[in-house]
Order: sequence, then C-alpha cells, then structure tokens
Amino acid sequence: MNKLTSAVAVSALIASSAFAQDAVVAQKTDRDVTKLTPTSKAWGYVKGTEIGLYPQTTVTMNDAKANALNKSQKAKKATVKAIYNDKNIAFLLEWPDGTRSVQSGYRSDAYGDGFAVQLPVNYGDPQKLPYIGMGSEGRPVVIHLQKAVQPIYEPNGKGDVGAQQNVLSKNMFGKEVGEYHEAVQKLAVSDYQRSFVSEGFRSMTEIKDGSEKFSADMEYDKKAWKGTVIRPLKDAYLNLDNGAFPVAFAAWDGARMNRDGLKLLSSWIPVKLGDEKGGDALVAELTTAPKGDVENGKNLVMQNGCMGCHYIPGMSQPGYMAPGLANIGGYSTDAYLKESMVDPNAIVVPGYNRNAHPNTPWYNVIDGKRQSTMPPYPLDDKSLDDMVAYMRTLKAEVE
Amino acid sequence: MSKRQLAMVMDLNKCIGCQTCTVACKTQWTNRNGREYMYWNNVETYPGTGYPKNWMELGGGFDAAGDLQAGIVPNIEADYGVPWDYNHDELQFGEQLKPNIEPTWGPNWDEDEGEGNFPSDNYFFYIPRICNHCTNPGCLSACPRDAIFKREQDGVVLVDLDRCQGYRYCIAGCPYKKIYFNPKISKSEKCILCFPRVEKGLPPACAQQCVGRIRFVGFLDDEEGQVHKLVHKYKVALPLRSDYGTQPNVYYVPPTEAPPKFDAEGRVIPGSNRVPIEELEKLFGKEVHDAMKTLRAEMEKRKKTGESELMDILIAYKHQDMFRLDQEYYQGIAKQQGTSLAPIDNRYMAGKNTENKYKFKVVEYE
Repeated sequence: MNKLTSAVAVSALIASSAFAQDAVVAQKTDRDVTKLTPTSKAWGYVKGTEIGLYPQTTVTMNDAKANALNKSQKAKKATVKAIYNDKNIAFLLEWPDGTRSVQSGYRSDAYGDGFAVQLPVNYGDPQKLPYIGMGSEGRPVVIHLQKAVQPIYEPNGKGDVGAQQNVLSKNMFGKEVGEYHEAVQKLAVSDYQRSFVSEGFRSMTEIKDGSEKFSADMEYDKKAWKGTVIRPLKDAYLNLDNGAFPVAFAAWDGARMNRDGLKLLSSWIPVKLGDEKGGDALVAELTTAPKGDVENGKNLVMQNGCMGCHYIPGMSQPGYMAPGLANIGGYSTDAYLKESMVDPNAIVVPGYNRNAHPNTPWYNVIDGKRQSTMPPYPLDDKSLDDMVAYMRTLKAEVE
Repeated sequence: MSKRQLAMVMDLNKCIGCQTCTVACKTQWTNRNGREYMYWNNVETYPGTGYPKNWMELGGGFDAAGDLQAGIVPNIEADYGVPWDYNHDELQFGEQLKPNIEPTWGPNWDEDEGEGNFPSDNYFFYIPRICNHCTNPGCLSACPRDAIFKREQDGVVLVDLDRCQGYRYCIAGCPYKKIYFNPKISKSEKCILCFPRVEKGLPPACAQQCVGRIRFVGFLDDEEGQVHKLVHKYKVALPLRSDYGTQPNVYYVPPTEAPPKFDAEGRVIPGSNRVPIEELEKLFGKEVHDAMKTLRAEMEKRKKTGESELMDILIAYKHQDMFRLDQEYYQGIAKQQGTSLAPIDNRYMAGKNTENKYKFKVVEYE
C-alpha cells in the first residue's frame, strides 16, 4: 500500500467511526433499580456508551447575551449507562461541564444546568421515529426533565398555579395567619423535576396528574454532572419492553444561559435491553454509518439550492427562512434526513412563533394540518444517500 | 388580533409623579411571593434611566420587516434594583437608621433629575408605564412554549402560568421590559390589566387610585367612550415608542404645556418650550406635532367659546365617563362558555389535566 492510499484509508476509518453510534446495552438486574442514585456503586459494573451532545441550532433564540455566549459552542462527549429489571429502567448520563450552575437566589438572569431524557411513544418503524426536537405531529414523545433549580415555591404544593391562594383572600387573622404561612412553606417547595408529553416544540405539555411515575436526580463532581432518570418500562404513555428502543438526551449549561432550545442535544440513541430479544432492526438502523459519498452529497446540496433557505455553515446566511442545518448531522438520523427531503410534510418543525417572523413562514396551515413551504425533492436513492452522508458531517467539533 | 381591545389613555400633562398608581398596583399584586422587585406599574422621570435601567436600549420588539429582535434579560441588582427595608423597629433602642442591604440601584434612583441647566432650561416630565397589552406582543412572539396569550374578549395579554417554564425569552422580546421573571416560582409574570376587576366593571387599580385623574380606560371600539375619542376622534393620545412595532394599546396625551426657558438674565424667552420637541418625537412619533396642534387649538376654542368636548374629556369630570367598562359584556361571555367570573382566567388551567395525553393542538397565532 503506498502512502497516499493508506492515508486515505486511515482518514476514511476516522470519518466512519465519527458517524458510527454504538448501542447502549442496558444491564439486567434482579434488584430494585428505583433506589439508584447518580453515585450508586452499581453504575461501576455497567459498561458505558459514548454519545455526542450537539448544540441545538435549528432556530436562533432572541436572547442577545445568550446568543453571544453560545456563538461558537462546541459539542460535548457524554456517557450513557442503563440498568433495568422486570419493571423499571434507570438511565445514567454523565457529561462534562466546567461550572456548576444552580438557578438560585433572588435573581432574574441566573440559569441552572440540567438534563433531559426523551423517549418516543411509538418506535415500531425505525425509519419513522419522532422528530428529535421534542417529537412531531402524530409522533409524540415523553420527556423527563431535571434542572438544577432552587426548590420552586407553589403555595398549594400541587403545581396547580391556577388555584394558588393569597393569604389576603383567606378569612384569617393573627396567629392563624402565622400557622397558615408555616403550613404553606412546608408544602410549597418542590424540585424542578418534570415530565412532559410533546408533539413538537411549543406543544410540550406537563404531565401533572401523577400518571407518569419517574424520578430524577443530578450530582456534580470533578467538572462533570451525573444525572439519573428512573421510570417504568411500561406505563400508560409508552412501552419500552420490546428488546430495544431509542432514547435521546439533552443537557443545558446554565453558565452559558442555556434553557429551552439553547442546549446540547443527542441524536436518537439505540438502547438494547441486555437479556431480551428483538429490536434488531432498530439497533441496526441507528448504529449503521451513512454509506453515501460526502463530496458528491455536498455538490448536490449546492446544486439543489438547499442553502437558499437553510443555514449551512460556509454556504449561506439566509436568516429565519428554515431550520438551521449547522448541527443537523449531530442530532438527526439518516432516515429523518431522507424523509424530510422526499416528503417535507412528513415532519414539519413548528419553528418560530409565527408572529416572530411573519414574512418567512416555515409552513402554511391547510385544513388544520401544517404543510411545509419546502417542496419535495424526489431524487434517486444514490443522490439522497450522498446528501444524507454530507448532512451528517454538518456538526460542531467535540470539545 | 383579538375581537375587542381594552386600552388605557394617560394624560401626561397632569401626571404629578406621586406614585399612587405604583402603590395601588404593588399592594394589589406585587408585594409578595417573589414579585417584590417587580413594578407592573411604575412612574419614571423622563429624561432618565427609567425602570428597568435604560429599558429603551435593551432590545426586543420588531424591525421594519416584522422580525422579532433579540434583547436582553435585565439583572435584578443592577437594572431593576433589589427592594430594601429599614430597621425602624430598632430605632427605639438607640440604633441608627440603616437599610438591610447596601442599596446600589432602584426604580426612580434618578427621580426628578431630568436634563438641562437650572434655572434656564432644565426640564423633565413623568411617564407612568404599565404593560401595553400590545396587539402584536413581543413577549408572545418570543415565547417558545406558547405560554403567553392574548384574550379574545378584550386583548389583555396574559401568561399561562401552567405552560410557562421560566425561559425568559419573553423578557428579551418585550421592548418595554414590562414582563418579569419571578425567581421564587421560576415563571414569568406581568401586568394583567387587573382583569378580575375589569370583568366586574371596575377599572384597574392604578387607574382607580390615580389622584390626578390622568387615566382613562375603555374599549377602543366603543365610539361613545372617552378612550376612543382621545385616540381615534381627536388623535391626541399616542402610543409610546410605536417604532418597536408591537402596536401598544396604552396611549399618552403628550406633555404639551411646559414653562418657557429663561435667558442668561433670568428673563422669560417668549414662545419657548422647555420640553424639546425631538424628545417627544422620539417617544410618540411624528404624530406628536398634530396632537399638540389639536390640543392647543381646542384649548383656545375653550377659552374663546367656553366649549370643547376634548377639554371636557381631559378635565376628567366623572369616573363613570373615564372608565367605560362593560360588566354585562364579560358576564355574557362567561355565560356562553358556561363558566363563572372567577378571578382566574380559564387558560391558567390549561394543561392541568393531562388525561387526554397527546390530544393537544399547537395554538396558531396568525
């Protein structure tokens, strides 16, 4: 082998390993997993899987300071572990963060670190997973969120803000008022730990009726956070007991004023239940590196004028017209990218509030259904594969 | 856009900066539960830094193309000011009066300073500010959760506290910085135009308590109402900084009548006005010229003939004319919806019961 070809072979190897995602193998146990904490010894016996968390740059948020802080945000490497038994599954996410930020005190512009675990309600067809950004119409997801926020004050302790009582509206005096205040203080603080169902961002709705049983916790040590989410394998919302299922993770860095869309986000990561059968198609779909020709894909992207509406680094700066693609390779699956080119209406990202950028609508609403303003690109399979391969290279470097 | 729009008119010629409105609002809504630093209603000296500090330079609102502009979330200590208290209880034991924290900034830190040189041409006036309940609210457009909504029945802009997750993009998006973050509940809160009062036929607390009777409240489409007459018939009430593109619904009668300037010898310069017209243009747009012309013409007319509907309105004889609220209108809506007029908006309850899981719809704001 001459020097040139070996150099090419090595770089090809690096390139493909940068794409390939290993499945997380959840380890089965007979013990109770609901008591696991981020620092439980049990995690030491489980093999971790490395994943990439990429800056979510689909939309540009309207906070000037935060945008400046996140301008050249790099991706982070995180480690995922999972343990399950017959009833429950526990996830551990470990991600680096140089600063421990807790949203606390009497401050208006402090933000806490945090993380979230996202699970699809339906994943029978691995080609049609929900959109990574909090699901999509007809493809709901369940999200578990834990944030490093001081305990939240809710006077009735039920998260039912509509029924919050003001002491002035109570018919009480003197000592009674004092007792009332004491009682309220006791039940009025709750952890910033929430579950949501969602069909695309802006549609996220908190599950408050107690029908979603989960627990989460996070601990900071040695410049890294460890976070756990523990939930049932099966409940009214979803069933994870099918051999394998996809999961996605998000992490927020409070020091960079991260919150909401300003975050780091993984792609769909396959989780294989160690002792169970099934789910092979899903694992294969999410672990296979794209096969297309990156260079040809780039040319095709240019020929088809994608950068006229989409922001593609080095190509264009089209403003608010369509989802930004700067990190699309970091948090998208091949199937999603392909589907979105062939049938843009399959998943229409809601994008901005339509009042925010009225002249550049991402979609029109026809008969109550969102219709993307992007035309379909019914190209041949080879071209699509090449374009997908190119788009998968669009992502920030890992720091 | 809502079906109807409630609006407020404030006559700046009559505002004496007494802060009675501020106190009315504070005791009604913001003296507790994490809202202590907020002034849903404040009265600031113009020219001055305002509240929060330099709010006009903190971004938000829309550009000419209608795109939402990025903004900044102010800091409580540096920009709003942390509320402080004094040790009054300890004075009887010989203690010195001292604040519980070292105050470094607060609302009206620069009260009555104004601009210019005393006594020749110094000037200032007061601007009371509440949420503008905009027709095209920056806060609503900025919210990635669709947690802010504009009521169909009266255009009041409210935060659905059930949906709000405390992201604070609304604060960056509001060019008036009239929506605030409550750190105790980690959600955004704002002026609610006292809707529980309005629904019962009472004006907002700030308007009710105003000793200068500068505030008029009513529906913009109520042609018999004084608000409609001031805004649409006489066009003397103008929105503040309409260049932000949010179409605010609080209108101001500009301060027309300021004393003249003095020359170096302390003599009156005839025909001069201490308030520079450029400043009024900046605040109220070019329309301020016509508004001032109308005001002066009507004043003359009143002097000569004894009659002027506009002057009669601005004299503010009766609360019942100044506040044209329609309790029956609200009761009709409540009846139609099968609800009662509780001091809680129905949308505050949205999402409380999630039994119907993912059967929700994304709300579209056109």
